[in-house]
This record gives sequence, C-alpha cells and structure tokens, in this order.
Amino acid sequence: MVPDVAAPFQIKEGELIMDADRMVLNAYDASAVEEALVLKEKHGGEVEVVCIGPAKASETIRKALAMGADKGIHISTSGDEGFDSASYASILSSFFGDKEFDILSLGKQSQDTDSGLTGSMVAEKLNLPYATNAVGLEIEGNNLVVKRQGDSGQEMIELPTPCAVTCSNDMNEPRIPNLKGIMASKRKPIDVVELSSLGISEEDLSPASKVISYEQKPARQAGKKFEGEADEIAREVAQLLDTEANVI
Amino acid sequence: MSSILTYIAISDGKIKRSSLEVLSRSKAIADAQGLSCEAVIIDQIASSYTDSVQKYGASKIYTVEDPIFDQHRNTPLLSALSKVMETAQPKVVAFASTEGTKDILGALAANKTAGVVADVSSFDVSSSGVTAKRPVMAAKVVGNVEVSGNPILVSVRSGSYDLVESPTTAEVVSIGFTMSRDELKAKLREIISATGDTIDLNEAESIVAAGRGVKDGEAKNLISELASVLNAGIGASRALTEAGVYDPSLQIGQTGKVVSPQLYIAIGISGAIQHVAGMANSKVIVAINKDPDAPIFEVADYGIVGDLYKVLPPFIEELKKIKG
Ligand SMILES: Cc1cc2nc3c(=O)[nH]c(=O)nc-3n(C[C@H](O)[C@H](O)[C@H](O)COP(=O)(O)OP(=O)(O)OC[C@H]3O[C@@H](n4cnc5c(N)ncnc54)[C@H](O)[C@@H]3O)c2cc1C
Ligand SMILES: Nc1ncnc2c1ncn2[C@@H]1O[C@H](COP(=O)(O)O)[C@@H](O)[C@H]1O
Repeated sequence: MVPDVAAPFQIKEGELIMDADRMVLNAYDASAVEEALVLKEKHGGEVEVVCIGPAKASETIRKALAMGADKGIHISTSGDEGFDSASYASILSSFFGDKEFDILSLGKQSQDTDSGLTGSMVAEKLNLPYATNAVGLEIEGNNLVVKRQGDSGQEMIELPTPCAVTCSNDMNEPRIPNLKGIMASKRKPIDVVELSSLGISEEDLSPASKVISYEQKPARQAGKKFEGEADEIAREVAQLLDTEANVI
Repeated sequence: MSSILTYIAISDGKIKRSSLEVLSRSKAIADAQGLSCEAVIIDQIASSYTDSVQKYGASKIYTVEDPIFDQHRNTPLLSALSKVMETAQPKVVAFASTEGTKDILGALAANKTAGVVADVSSFDVSSSGVTAKRPVMAAKVVGNVEVSGNPILVSVRSGSYDLVESPTTAEVVSIGFTMSRDELKAKLREIISATGDTIDLNEAESIVAAGRGVKDGEAKNLISELASVLNAGIGASRALTEAGVYDPSLQIGQTGKVVSPQLYIAIGISGAIQHVAGMANSKVIVAINKDPDAPIFEVADYGIVGDLYKVLPPFIEELKKIKG
C-alpha cells in the first residue's frame, strides 16, 4: 500500500502533502500477487496476502482478494508511525516466524520510496534462502526457480522452499479485477492481527532512518524545441550539441 | 580511529566506476571528519585490484578471495561482508547502488542490526549518524533523511559524485574465507547475458535510448548507428524491454537503471515519470518525438519534434561530419 505517485501533491515547509489521501496497491506487490495466482493456477495451493497499516489497509487487501487471492491478513497499526523498511521487516518476521508457507513473496521496492530493503531483511531475519528483483518464477518439485535481473544479465537461481523472493513489475501484467472477482472478494476472510499479539509495540519499531523534510526536486528547465523541416532541425541540433552543449 | 569502509564492486573483471565514485566521496568525508578511509574488495582475484583502489585514497584495503565469488551470489557475499565488518568495525559502510548491492543491503543491515539508507544521491557523516538526500515519489521529490545506528550502511546512486584521485599506499589485509557451492541453499544455475560487449549504462558518457516509437528493424538500425557514431550505450524504455525488442538489462527508469550520462538522447519515448526518474540527472537531454506535447520535452534541453525515421538519418550524417 503506497500513496499514488501520479497523484498531485504539495510541499509545504518541508512536509509532503498529498492532495487526496489516495492509497494504491504497490505496483511491485501487484506483480507479486499476480505471479502467486499464476503459480497457484498451475500447481495448486493457497495465496494469502498480508498488509500492515491503518484501517484503510483493508481496501488494499480487498484489491488483492478481488484479483483472486484466497485470504487476507491485516496487521493493524495506528497509521502515523513513520515506519521504515526495518520496522516493516520486524513486523513481518515476527508474524511469519511461526507460520508455515512455501514461498514468501514481496515487492522489490515501494513505489513511493524505492527503498528496496524490506524483502532481504525479512529473509535474513527468518533465515530463508532468497532472491531479489525477480522477473520470472517457476516451481520445479520442491524448488522455486527464480529468474532475477542482475547488473548485466539474468541470473537463474534455484531456491529450496521455504524461501523468499522479491518481485519486479517486469514479471507480468497484473490482472484487473473483474466484477465477479470484486463480488467474491467481499465474502473472503480478512483476519485482523494486532501488533500486541505479535509481542511488539509501535515504540519498539521506532525507525532508525527518518525523513526529516522533503524538498521539491529542482525542476529541469525545458530547453529549446525545434519544429519544422526534419532535415534542417536534425542538422541544427547536431551542430548545437557540438558547439553549444559541448557533448560531442 | 573509526572508519568509513567502501565496498568496491567488481563486475566482468573490472572495478565498477560507481564504487570509485563512492570511494572518492568517502575519502572526502573521512578527511573532513577525521575518519580512516578503508575499502573492501570481494572477488576471486580481489588482491589484483588493490593498486587501482589505493589511487582513490583508501589507506587500508580488506580483500576476500574465493572461487565462489566468480559470480554474484547473495549468501557468500553477505557472509564475507559480515566477516570483514567484524574485523574492520566501521562506523559507516558505503556502497555503489548496483543490482548486486540491492540484493544484499537489507539482509546485511538485518544481520548487523545496522542503520541503513539505500539509493541516496548525496550523503554525509556526522557525530550522530548519516544524513542523506534521496529521491522519492518517482524522483519528483527529494527526502532529507537522518539515519542513526552503529554501523550505518548507505548505498549511493551512480553518477552522484565525481572521481577524485588521492594516491596512498594502502595496508592490504587479507581476510580468510572459504565456502563451497554445495553448502549453498540458493543455487545459481546459469546466467543469461545480453551480448557481452555492450557498454555499461552506469558508466556510459552518452546514451541513446529507444522507446515505443522505435517500431521495426529499420528504426533499430538507426539507433545502433547513432550509438556507434557517438560511442554511446544503448538504453530502452520499459515499453521496448517488455516487448523483447531490447534486453531487459537495458531498461532505464524506476524499475530499471538510474543513469546520469553527459548526453542522453531519448528517441520515441513519451517521458512517463517512471522513465524520467531514471534519466533526469543526465547533463544534456535530447528528445526526438513526433508528438509536440510529449512530456519528455519538459525535461529536454534540445527537443526535436519530428518523425524519428526522418530525423535520425540527417542527424546521424551531421554527427559523422562533426566527428570527422
Ligand atoms: C512502478 C512502475 C515502474 C516503471 N518503471 C519503468 C522504467 O524503469 N522504465 C520505463 O521506461 N518505464 C517504466 N514504467 C512504465 C512507464 O510508465 C511507461 O509506460 C513507459 O516508460 C512508456 O514507454 P515509452 O515512452 O517507450 O512508450 P509510450 O509512452 O507509448 O511513448 C511512445 C512515444 O513515441 C512517440 N513516437 C511514436 N512513433 C514515433 C516516431 N515515428 N517518431 C518519433 N516519435 C514517435 C510517441 O509520440 C510517444 O510519445 C514503469 C511503470 C510503473 C507503474
Ligand atoms: N505495510 C506493509 N505491509 C506489507 N508489506 C509491506 C509493507 N511495507 C512494505 N512491505 C513489503 O516490502 C516491500 C517494499 O520494501 P521497501 O522498498 O523496503 O519499502 C513491499 O513491496 C512489500 O512486499
């Protein structure tokens, strides 16, 4: 669940204020859900989704249920805690510590912060073999075979289950829930879990990294626009790159 | 004396320039803060890189050598870093933000109960911790972040700092480490690489980037020709990597790579925020697009409104003349 990065916002005295309080399912998590559903269609099993957050987190969970997930778990927080990736990783590892699962699938990063830390933190805390930045998943016997995008190529990695993986949105095109899915989602269960029942309080999770202020990124000035005869403007810009911009 | 330790990433037998950028920054901070500037190299032939690293001011270099480091594997990399940190006891560990780093940064932080901040565009060290700037909201906003902890891990976007040489004679400390492939739970089966000789986009001085407007072989050829005239790397928008027209390693943007070349030429790319997030820090941006209202023109220094099939041939010809 992340604020919609395409929605209008303002920065006032260092504070980031979203014009509408609209939260959306993180694109990378939508891909994680989609891939889980595809694997379920092929191999059976159950898809459960977990979301940590205040009351409106349940809307995000409904979205995943409408896509086809079987069950939701809402780990409830007050909503103004300013958590960082480590805080979420602590909650998730406490929650999953005593659960049985084959694959713990996360998004490779949050669309708003691009931190990209939670997944490998959880894997380390739960001592699970893991792979990040997955662009493809296959199940072979008891193994999950992950195709991950590395620096210069794609690495095929075989992980024994249980394992953790973080998903790129380059893996698939998440399905848009249809009416039937939306209706069905209303009958699917969402368990609410209180932090206290996991033996943690919000104070324990006080983040080590804090955003103390936001600033508008200095906007690039739009430069010169050349319109007209293709041959002429192409040659003109080529010349300017040499004589004016000095980059040739 | 407490230290700032920079991880030197090696890929395809070469030191990643971005890690030397980070080392240059670490050296400046170390000098200003009275910290010792140290580096760590983890590779099957780590010790062969120490000469290049001491040029950038590392006074102590930890090396970890083992055949297991012939390819990126997260488990051995994590254990090796963890072991070096036990010996070095650094206050801060700085990394270039590569896919290899992204794969282990969170796990290392969890393993060391360290503070961590990823993908910053600048950072500094103070007595109370690390301060950093990092782009958020698809790079439309900059967040000023304060991180506490001991140690603190920070990863830095490529192109954030210039290379600054500062030759020193480093003490080299080799850290013993062995791990066999059979011990690993996660097995690396194979690596599917793009053509071997493509230019690393993070290090390219110029990038020619293709978008959905590049529809066929003819347009692809024009892209290749332009890139070869400029000795530029080829990048692509998600529209084209997704369609399989270009290798996924070439994707530029929020999901793909963040680049900051001297010259970026966006061809048939609309300029969605997620693409711009990956290239807005380029020094000079040229856009070629037939739609005069395409958002890419808002960030372009030189915007050519026109059909790429008509614009590119004379553009390439003129550049060839200039190059002489
Ligand atoms: C979470 C998330 C992450 C994403 N990450 C990335 C990322 O890392 N990188 C990325 O690129 N995208 C990313 N995207 C996708 C992004 O939103 C856009 O969909 C994508 O960048 C569009 O690619 P494009 O500009 O090539 O295609 P389009 O938007 O379709 O634009 C094509 C352009 O080509 C022009 N054109 C067509 N024909 C010609 C011609 N003959 N001559 C000249 N111009 C022509 C058109 O006018 C148009 O402007 C991400 C999206 C999400 C949600
Ligand atoms: N509130 C949350 N509830 C559930 N999972 C979360 C939450 N926040 C982060 N995550 C997971 O962590 C990933 C993002 O990590 P990061 O970029 O470190 O914030 C997401 O894609 C999710 O899989």
